[in-house]
Amino acid sequence: MFEESKVAFFLAKRSILRGNKGTLSLTILIIGMVFVNLIFLPSIITGVAVLFNQQSIDYSYGNLVIEPKKNQVYITQVSELQRKLERIPGITGVSPRYLTSATISYKGNVVTPVLYAINPSDEQGVLRIATKVSSGSYLADGDTGQIVLGFRLAGNEDEKLDVVPSLGGVSVGRVVDISFNNGVTRQYRVKGIVTSNSFSVDSNAFITKKEYEDVFGIEDMANQVLVRTIETGKENEMRNTLLSFGVQEKIWTWQEKSANFLNQIIGSFNIINFIGTAVSLVIAIVVIFIVIFINTVYRRKQIGILKAIGIDRSIIIKSYLFQALFIFAIGTLMGGVFLLLILQLLAANPIVFPGGPVAPVVDLPLIVRSTMSLFIVSLIAGYVPAWITTREDILSAIRG
Amino acid sequence: MIIGRDLTRIYGMGAVQVRALDGVSVEIQKGDFVGIMGPSGSGKSTLLHMFGLLDRPTSGTIIIDGVDAGTLDERARTQFRLRRLGYVFQDYALVPELTAKENVYLPSMARGMTAQECTLACSEILTLVGLGNRIHHLPGEMSGGEQQRVAIARALVNRPTLLLADEPCANLDSQNSKIILDLFQRLNRDLHQTIVMVSHEEWHKRYFDRIISMKDGVIEEEVNRNEGGELTPSP
Ligand SMILES: Nc1ncnc2c1ncn2[C@@H]1O[C@H](COP(=O)(O)OP(=O)(O)O)[C@@H](O)[C@H]1O
Ligand SMILES: [Mg+2]
Repeated sequence: MFEESKVAFFLAKRSILRGNKGTLSLTILIIGMVFVNLIFLPSIITGVAVLFNQQSIDYSYGNLVIEPKKNQVYITQVSELQRKLERIPGITGVSPRYLTSATISYKGNVVTPVLYAINPSDEQGVLRIATKVSSGSYLADGDTGQIVLGFRLAGNEDEKLDVVPSLGGVSVGRVVDISFNNGVTRQYRVKGIVTSNSFSVDSNAFITKKEYEDVFGIEDMANQVLVRTIETGKENEMRNTLLSFGVQEKIWTWQEKSANFLNQIIGSFNIINFIGTAVSLVIAIVVIFIVIFINTVYRRKQIGILKAIGIDRSIIIKSYLFQALFIFAIGTLMGGVFLLLILQLLAANPIVFPGGPVAPVVDLPLIVRSTMSLFIVSLIAGYVPAWITTREDILSAIRG
Repeated sequence: MIIGRDLTRIYGMGAVQVRALDGVSVEIQKGDFVGIMGPSGSGKSTLLHMFGLLDRPTSGTIIIDGVDAGTLDERARTQFRLRRLGYVFQDYALVPELTAKENVYLPSMARGMTAQECTLACSEILTLVGLGNRIHHLPGEMSGGEQQRVAIARALVNRPTLLLADEPCANLDSQNSKIILDLFQRLNRDLHQTIVMVSHEEWHKRYFDRIISMKDGVIEEEVNRNEGGELTPSP
């Protein structure tokens, strides 16, 4: 067995050293590119998922979302709940808020976005919206009669530029009219416009909780309490901690809140990914197969000679397997180097998605999976042609 | 001892059948230098292929060193070729990607000899065939005569029971042919190497101890060299 491998290795080495360098380099190049392709697309897709997840946490939900008990609209005595939550270790921010839909009108443009009512200082402990003010300024505790708009909601004077129904280009300092669903109508001065790249932020509006409570004549309630924890990824443990501290309201994790949206996106990405991977692997199989096949057919006579002088067929097949493995090894190595270069380039000039720059995620399982599949593909694509060509009988092979 | 008994080889099982061998029986003693002669198409190569285990007879038996070749499977036949047979082709049939030395090295390596043993055997045999200094050249860089000597060295490196050569001089000029034939003679006389060689050149006859003349797939005549060096028909 070992003897056989030694002879096969010897033959493979000479073939590589003295065979056609052009074909060899091209094959290696193709395998390298396939390797890049196997890693690159999934890494971007994972990067996008990571980005979207971060967006969900930073701009929509924090880590945990507490909502009213079954069949209730509001969480009552919310400040007590807030104080309780703030004392739980691992929690860094708690932000109660109201959500309502309201009709906003400006110069004949009427839209009905979601209106969030927040305590600005609490909110800043959980979400990062306040850091994304593109003009004017963010709400401050105690503000009344003021509103902050997402930039898509504020819109453009040229309607064609809008992607959602908008107010037609309202700017900071202008006054908009709001009718609440209890019939109250008030005027608000636009205090700031936020551009966060998070869709739910950019197409909706924000007022203070104080203002909302004034409009609706309620106090110390909320529709949601957002909770920020030190660590992301420990949401389920944190939920249990909250339960053990006696929180009786419904507790959601950000994954649960954004599940539908994210699952859809990741689902479609995974399909693209699967197709891309499958196509790459098929290309790799076909290329190695063709190259080894042409190689063996071209060396038909040589294979006949080897068999005639007593070299076993299995040795000859093995020597082609070694060649395929060499192509795989060098190709993968080259692809790896190329990939590093691409990643460097991307680190310097990131791809910007709606939501921010995407950092490709190249993790070990991805590398192992890609390398293993290329390895298996190389073995198959090296074995089959060698098996076929070495089957021919000696004399017809030698005659050529 | 090599025995062929009632060998037939029929090509084309369809309507047109060619009886390349039509009942041939031969016995070759250890140390013989046998020439197989006859016109083109008479079945010389076909017979040699049988002895070289490169092809199977349609019927008949081949026994080499007491082993019935018909009982061996493909893998065992390959091993048999490697260890007991040396085959020299008309067109040298060297592996073009291997140097002279590597071509000779390969069978000894495949046989499981250590690198040291291989190197020793190689240089010994290459010196014997008179190629001490051209051993690092690729076949493409050598003359026909040199290539054929490499092929002979390759055939001999595992010390085969039987050396088979199918018109080894057909592509060579008479000077190179003589070098090869002299080499065969030396191998036969000094090392008692059994050799079966196909030829259709009249002047080669003087090298052979025994000549088997074939025609249309059968042995037409057999002559032996007697004590006085004369070729006389055997009964
Ligand atoms: N592969 C083959 N298929 C069909 N006929 C063949 C084949 N090989 C040899 N023959 C025929 O068998 C006969 C003997 O061939 P061969 O042994 O090569 O003759 P020689 O070597 O004496 O010139 C010839 O008639 C030849 O045409
Ligand atoms: Mg012939």
